[in-house]
Amino acid sequence: MGNVTNENIINLNTAITFEAETFRRIQPEEYLRRYIQQHVRPDGRSFNHFRKTTVNLSCITTADGSSMVRIGNTTVICGIKAEVSEPNVNFPKEGYLVPNVDLSPICSPRFKPGPPSEQAQVLSENLNKLLKNSKVIDLETLCIEEGKAAWVLFADLVCVNYDGNVFDACVIALMSALMNVRLPEAVYEDGIVKATEEKTIILGLIRITYSASFAMFDGQHLLVDPNEMEESITKDGITVVVDETGKLCNIWKTGSSCSSEQLKTCISKARDRYADITSIIEIAKQAIKKIE
Amino acid sequence: MSRLELIGPQGLRTDGRRFNELRNMNCKPSVLSQADGSAYIEQGNTKCLAAVYGPREVLHCSYSFILNYLINQILILLLLQARTKAQVLHNRANINVEISLAPFSMEERKKRSKSDKRILEIASAVKQTFEPIIMTELYARSQIDIYLQILQFDGGTVQICINAATLAIIDAGIPMKDYVCACSAGCIDDEPVLDLNHLEESNTPELTVALLPKNDKITLLQMESRLHIDKFQQVMEMAAKGCKEIHTVLDKAVRENIKDLLKKSSI
Repeated sequence: MGNVTNENIINLNTAITFEAETFRRIQPEEYLRRYIQQHVRPDGRSFNHFRKTTVNLSCITTADGSSMVRIGNTTVICGIKAEVSEPNVNFPKEGYLVPNVDLSPICSPRFKPGPPSEQAQVLSENLNKLLKNSKVIDLETLCIEEGKAAWVLFADLVCVNYDGNVFDACVIALMSALMNVRLPEAVYEDGIVKATEEKTIILGLIRITYSASFAMFDGQHLLVDPNEMEESITKDGITVVVDETGKLCNIWKTGSSCSSEQLKTCISKARDRYADITSIIEIAKQAIKKIE
Repeated sequence: MSRLELIGPQGLRTDGRRFNELRNMNCKPSVLSQADGSAYIEQGNTKCLAAVYGPREVLHCSYSFILNYLINQILILLLLQARTKAQVLHNRANINVEISLAPFSMEERKKRSKSDKRILEIASAVKQTFEPIIMTELYARSQIDIYLQILQFDGGTVQICINAATLAIIDAGIPMKDYVCACSAGCIDDEPVLDLNHLEESNTPELTVALLPKNDKITLLQMESRLHIDKFQQVMEMAAKGCKEIHTVLDKAVRENIKDLLKKSSI
């Protein structure tokens, strides 16, 4: 009903009507607001609906572990390469896990060529924090010889299509790629690390974490899994990361204020999302087994 | 020291192909939603993703605010323009090609920076190949950006970049005079072989040819190793035949994509 009143006012005062597409360009916030007031989003989803998520495992054969994740149109490819290096002097028994996100001009017209943008660096740093603080893998399992040699896992995430919610896609891609990393057996002898040809060692993950991102519109409406248009209009967002036991691992909250009720809703939706992602990855694993 | 066996006892190569067989090719246009045109191509184990943006307004460098703080503004403007390749041509569109090799694409992880000379050279070759083919006179003062992402590398970078770019440009609806199909060929044991993978191209002379299939015109020819002049003709003919085969594959992919689009839009 409120929507009808607004329209009446506009028509009386200005008598200018726009095609939807023009309106979207000149008044994006109002455009979104009209949809939100009807309890639907411009792409037809409800507020709580995640876009279709698909995962493909082991798609890059030159990498030691890889995955490709699609959330709607957002596509992220993760490739993990293992190299040997000397461990940190302060942590002689630990290896390294280094994530890096690449948002290049191929994925969206908003990214210009050049050094990594602020958004890409923030994503990389957030992933790094997530891996460290949640202790996703025990870095001591990456040790080959204490103080002398350890595995370094470089996780490179390349976004090839940017349609909002890259962080969720990156987290799923990273976790699923880590799950199918295959390392050779390595032995340290006389200053040289010798590795077998066969890659048989599977990385053991202590904890598997997935995230769910939300955009907040007008301080009251929580939109799950925002796409690019929604992300650019609503600067406020919440990202919740949970693990398999439902425990909270990380929360990032940006923008204006939200109530604790809204945070609780986000956390419970993140838990539900966790179960969905696990089943999607199971399907992907079954697909791989069939090929093998 | 054992010699590398590129051709086995039954005349089969390391990946089981005959001397005149192309690698398994898989291509699909329109894979990215954000780009104006896109394509994904797999040739054997080499995978490449192409995205075309354009024709669009020439992107000026976003560092322009620094100009105000610097004394020699003209020099800085020139420098910045050179860095961002932002050229406004008054009578045609500016084509900009950028190739990016994913760090996990090669056997050894190498974070190839964008200004790696080898990559810049390949990008320049692709740009020069397409400049006369794309009808740039129709889009003055604008820019056509071709971004190529190599996801997995097993030899044949130049050829897969050109093939992927062709598909992506067609998908973007930018008019071209003809398809540009590229293929590599080499010479193993005095026998011309078609479509070399990484192992073969590191050990034998390689010739890359890009062809316009309609009237058999060659737009690009690259060879960076020693090849006997007597063999050259045979190797080139083999590469040209390979280009024609690739043209059939690309054309089929484009037509199937359009059939799909027509089906969807007629609902």
